[in-house]
Amino acid sequence: MVKALLYIFGFLIAGELIRYVFNIPIAGNIIGMLLIFIALRLKLIKLKDVKPASDKLIKYLVLFFIPYGVGLMVYYNLIQPFWLPIAIAVVVSSVITLYVTAIILEKFGR
Amino acid sequence: MKEIVQLPVFGVFITLLAFIIAVQIKNKWNYILFNPVLLAITFIIIFLLVFDIDFDAYNKGGKFLSFFLGPAVVALGVFFYEKYAEVKQNLKPFLIAVTAGGVSGVLSVVLILILFRVPDFIVQSLAAKSVTAPIAIEISRIAGGVPEITASIVIAVGIFGNAFGPLILKLLGIKNKIAIGAALGTAAHAIGTARAFEEGKLPGVYSGLAMCLNGIITALLAPYILDLFLSF
Repeated sequence: MVKALLYIFGFLIAGELIRYVFNIPIAGNIIGMLLIFIALRLKLIKLKDVKPASDKLIKYLVLFFIPYGVGLMVYYNLIQPFWLPIAIAVVVSSVITLYVTAIILEKFGR
Repeated sequence: MKEIVQLPVFGVFITLLAFIIAVQIKNKWNYILFNPVLLAITFIIIFLLVFDIDFDAYNKGGKFLSFFLGPAVVALGVFFYEKYAEVKQNLKPFLIAVTAGGVSGVLSVVLILILFRVPDFIVQSLAAKSVTAPIAIEISRIAGGVPEITASIVIAVGIFGNAFGPLILKLLGIKNKIAIGAALGTAAHAIGTARAFEEGKLPGVYSGLAMCLNGIITALLAPYILDLFLSF
């Protein structure tokens, strides 16, 4: 477990480092996610070396963003005047996303 | 009492407690609005308001939990590696479908909000509204949005997709199960994926992979799309 965590944090730091060095507007954790995927594909690391930690992290992922959700209490007043445009934008855009993705796979998927 | 709530352990304790109660409620009554995250957040906010505790005090502990979002996103890369063999036969249409859906999602939400002349920080906070919260939060932060607004909207979008996604797709004439799965993951991230697993294991896997992929695509493109449209 500790070794698996070390790998995960290692890739996270590598991602942060790349973001810092190349000054790109992409989060270090996303670069880390791409790096660990590539490293697994190229067999630079083994699945069993990282799986104990990654399974646990994914299992409790929802727990980790609760504090951000609670933060809404601070910012609620900022978005309250715009609730209608926000609701319209979110619903229309979600329906578009659902349909575009689904229709392409419906037509071309097996 | 004032000293106790300032301790990090207070925020950690109350979050774990609220989450466990929320999961129990969800297990007892399986009703869409009883999403554990939504319930837990509501409980905590009510508690803080009732006892007049400010968010900063709560977040001294909350930070310890949200810290793990970073490694959790890296862990999604491992999940993607494990599962992607299952979409291999559909890899090309899958990649195209998720990319097209993800990009049209970012474009449409940004354009509609700009049309309504909503302040920039809201547009920046909502560009990644379809993406899983840990990734959306980072996109928002980098783009100049407010991560807390992003997190709340992302959860709302997930619940919308979970509750109405399959019905909307059915009305639009979609029958293919894997198309429904991929659409749920692309539009409504993990909360939509939970619904996709109710449709079957394969739709669930497609949904989980679509969630990861759309996270990557949106992270790569959203900052540039925002730059383009907000510079007018």
